[in-house]
Amino acid sequence: MKKLLAVALASFVLLTACSSKENNAPNNGEAPAAGTKEITVWAWDKAFNIGAMERASEAYKAKNADLKVNIVENAQADIIQKLNAGLNAGTTKSLPTIVLIEDYRAQSFLQAYPDAFFALNDFITPSDFADYKIGPTSFDGKQYGVPFDSGVAGLYVRSDYLEEAGFKVDDLQDIDWKKLIEIGKEVKAKTGKSLLTQDPNDLGLIRMMIQSAGSWYLKEDGTTPNLAGNAALKEAFETYKELMNADIVKVTSDWSQFVGAFNSGEVASVPTGNWITASVKAEASQSGKWAVVPFPKLGGNPNSVHASNLGGSSWYVMNVDGKEAAAEFLKATFGSDVDLYQKLVTEIGAIGTLKAAAAGDAYKQADEFFGGQNVIQDFAKWTEQIPSVNYGMHTYAIEDILVVEMQNYMGGKDIDKVLSDAQSQAETQVK
Amino acid sequence: MRAFLDKFKFHGLFIKMFMVTFISIISVSLLTSIFMIQMSERLFMNTFSITNSKIINQIQANFESFNYSVVTASNNVMQNGAIKGFLTKPEMDTVSSLASYYQASQQMERIQSNVAAYPVTMTISGVNKKFHSTDSYYWPSSLEKLRNSILTVNTLIQPKKLIYQLDTENIPGSSHDDPVIVASRALMERTSGNQYGVLYFAIKESDFKGFYSSFTSKGNDVVILDSKGVVVSSNRHDLIGQEEQELLSYAKEIEEQKLNFKDVNVLGSSSLVLSEYLPVYDFYLVNLINKQEVLKGIVDFKMIALISIAIVFVALIIVFLISRRLTKSLTMLARQMSGITTNHFDNYIEVSGSYEIKELGRAYNYMLDELNDYIKKLIQTQKDQRNAELSALQMQINPHFLYNTLASIKILVQQGNKEKAAATINSLISLLQNTVSNISETISVAQELVNLKNYVFINHVRYGEQIVVNYFVADDCYGYHIPKLIIQPFIENAFFHAFQERNDGHIYVLISREEQALVCEVVDNGVGMEGYDHENPAHSSISTSHFFSGIGIRNVHDRIALLYGEEFGVSIVSDIGQGTRVKIRLPLHKT
Repeated sequence: MKKLLAVALASFVLLTACSSKENNAPNNGEAPAAGTKEITVWAWDKAFNIGAMERASEAYKAKNADLKVNIVENAQADIIQKLNAGLNAGTTKSLPTIVLIEDYRAQSFLQAYPDAFFALNDFITPSDFADYKIGPTSFDGKQYGVPFDSGVAGLYVRSDYLEEAGFKVDDLQDIDWKKLIEIGKEVKAKTGKSLLTQDPNDLGLIRMMIQSAGSWYLKEDGTTPNLAGNAALKEAFETYKELMNADIVKVTSDWSQFVGAFNSGEVASVPTGNWITASVKAEASQSGKWAVVPFPKLGGNPNSVHASNLGGSSWYVMNVDGKEAAAEFLKATFGSDVDLYQKLVTEIGAIGTLKAAAAGDAYKQADEFFGGQNVIQDFAKWTEQIPSVNYGMHTYAIEDILVVEMQNYMGGKDIDKVLSDAQSQAETQVK
Repeated sequence: MRAFLDKFKFHGLFIKMFMVTFISIISVSLLTSIFMIQMSERLFMNTFSITNSKIINQIQANFESFNYSVVTASNNVMQNGAIKGFLTKPEMDTVSSLASYYQASQQMERIQSNVAAYPVTMTISGVNKKFHSTDSYYWPSSLEKLRNSILTVNTLIQPKKLIYQLDTENIPGSSHDDPVIVASRALMERTSGNQYGVLYFAIKESDFKGFYSSFTSKGNDVVILDSKGVVVSSNRHDLIGQEEQELLSYAKEIEEQKLNFKDVNVLGSSSLVLSEYLPVYDFYLVNLINKQEVLKGIVDFKMIALISIAIVFVALIIVFLISRRLTKSLTMLARQMSGITTNHFDNYIEVSGSYEIKELGRAYNYMLDELNDYIKKLIQTQKDQRNAELSALQMQINPHFLYNTLASIKILVQQGNKEKAAATINSLISLLQNTVSNISETISVAQELVNLKNYVFINHVRYGEQIVVNYFVADDCYGYHIPKLIIQPFIENAFFHAFQERNDGHIYVLISREEQALVCEVVDNGVGMEGYDHENPAHSSISTSHFFSGIGIRNVHDRIALLYGEEFGVSIVSDIGQGTRVKIRLPLHKT
């Protein structure tokens, strides 16, 4: 009897356990939206990208209240990994409807899995956006991405340090790197502050320099390494070494040190993308002591202009159920909503790449933190001048090679040899 | 109400029987369910705690392998010359600094492969204020703050140990709701013991949770406590950073007394607490099983209650029907039996129901049969007795009468009055004929009248004709039958007692029908009777006196009553000096 009871009880327990398991079917919000009532968005950076998408979703409610936008925050590395895993497996089942992809990486996805993405030519007009954004977001004549934030680069400078060293902000307008190094030396001598920070593992500065000259690590086709014999890259390397040799650079090794350096007033300038504005302004005590000047050009390169780009990303629609609804959503928000862009500028400091947005009121506001300079408008202006390059498929793979070769170059290796070694390494690796 | 109570009375047995069964069934099912539930709960909790202690071992293993990776990585960092150089060499120019940073970062990247399985950020901080983090987007927010934080202070106090701490201070950005768990260790030269930096491994609490979160569920919580009782990590986010001294004391108790688990009330609910001390972390791994939550899914009280109610209901219906059937025949029996009233013994009952009830019914009916037989015999005996008495009574008159009559005839013969003598003898013959023949028979009123007239004729012969007898008989009464010679004694009585003080008088014989009775009256206008009580005729002394010749009115009355019923009999009204009226009520019989 006791045995029987135990068996009965055990089966009862088991049954209940089973049934409860069935009830708790996973519901992590990553499943593709059914029909067109619901779409899922993957993005990273809560304050910036997620914030922008939330505002877009809010704005879209006025037009189509039925659509539910699920915004899922993931680290960028996780998104890349999940996309690769899903697309490699040939399934779009676990993928979102809309995904944010960094421009440098966009081509590696578009070229490898063009069928996995939904072309948006019927929804947006590429020429409405900054020209340089179109290269990375399109492939084979089709527009896949809705260009989002501008990574337009500028040179953030401490006007007070410059004045202390006997310069004016105007002295830094439209200069080349050689001139900047001279100024940096002077500033270091007068104030003891370094000109800028550099992380040996991050060649963002090199990337900005070569893009200002309309050049890239890869040739126009997006696959052939363009290192040996790349005049712009050579000059960038030389300039980099010059900067270092001038002993006006504070070396950092990570993001917090980078941010910490300018927040604590250790450096006189920050050459980077406009997305750093929020971090710069985070140190309110430095209000009025900053200015933004055009990105310095490479003096020896006739193609070089005073505009470049660092980072920036765009929205892509995956070829899954609900793609039309997602495309409609992007068309109505990031694709055309000028008011939304005003909101993005004022509320989260994101400068979009929709040309029409620059005409809005928010873009004309003077910023007291930057001594009354109309930085948004300046950035918008420079955005239009950014030379368009094809980031290709292998930006980060080549950068890893260059980081090592840069150290060799710093250690005294000949520049041509450095670049040709890098070229041959890249050719074997990306093949 | 009364009717209802009466109805109730007959169902008493059924109600009692049913109530007893009803209460028994309900209490049995209630007790059984409660007992079963408690037993299954206990069994489940025991199994659960065994399973969970295995799970705790598994979690412990996860923690240990993580710790092993961290220790390996930290040893590698400590033995790495390039990193030591990076952290100890003083400020230098940009180019060598660049190289130094580059090398350090390369080394750190290489060493980080030891902990590559975990989402860990490694950070080194040196005495020369140099600093490197493999991923400072996550941690720490500021080097200065970290350098002065309690984390670093604690690490430097115990320089030889790798210590684990919860950090909420150095998280970048606004994500304070996702704290970080930091393993830190002072970097020092083995030989000299000189400290040259601190190494931190930071893992987000949400990732740290991954070591155990797959084992948790609602009501089955894991809480990691440090030695001060602060919750370092838990699948219950609200607890993180809270100080739970109570829980810590239970965990310590379990550890010290080597208990399997403790059943206590903690964090506002009755829970099983399982605990394991993680010595390398100096953490207590506590597993809280909320009994209520866990059992909710296991024992479906509602379902059990519903099933019990259904079973009880069905059982009650069956019990109701069966006991109803059983008691129904009994109830009917009782009802029929109670229908018997006094002297009414022919109330036979229907024999139905179960064997016992049938037997009972049969026995009862048999008893009634016997009783009725007995009563019939008794009545017959009594009737016979009375007839005998009455005939004896009637016979009694004969010798006197005969003697007197014969004496009178003798005188008539002596006087030579032959005709009269012959007529008298004829009357006597007729009288005797009637008397001698079957005494029990009744005769018609007409015949009785003949007898009476004969008798009166004889008396007239004897005593003269001063006393006149008149007959008034209703025409419809001649045919009715009455007992033989029932009126004669009263006429005789009137002759011999009513006219003692004078010689003339009248006697009236009146026969008529009065409703369902035949009334024979003998009325005289004689002296009347003494002792008659007008107020209470029944108790008059007359009835018992021997006023009447040889017979007692009382006796006649009693016999008539016995033969025909209480409503029949003899009644007398008498007034002194006015006369006497005797009234005999008899039933109307045609034969």
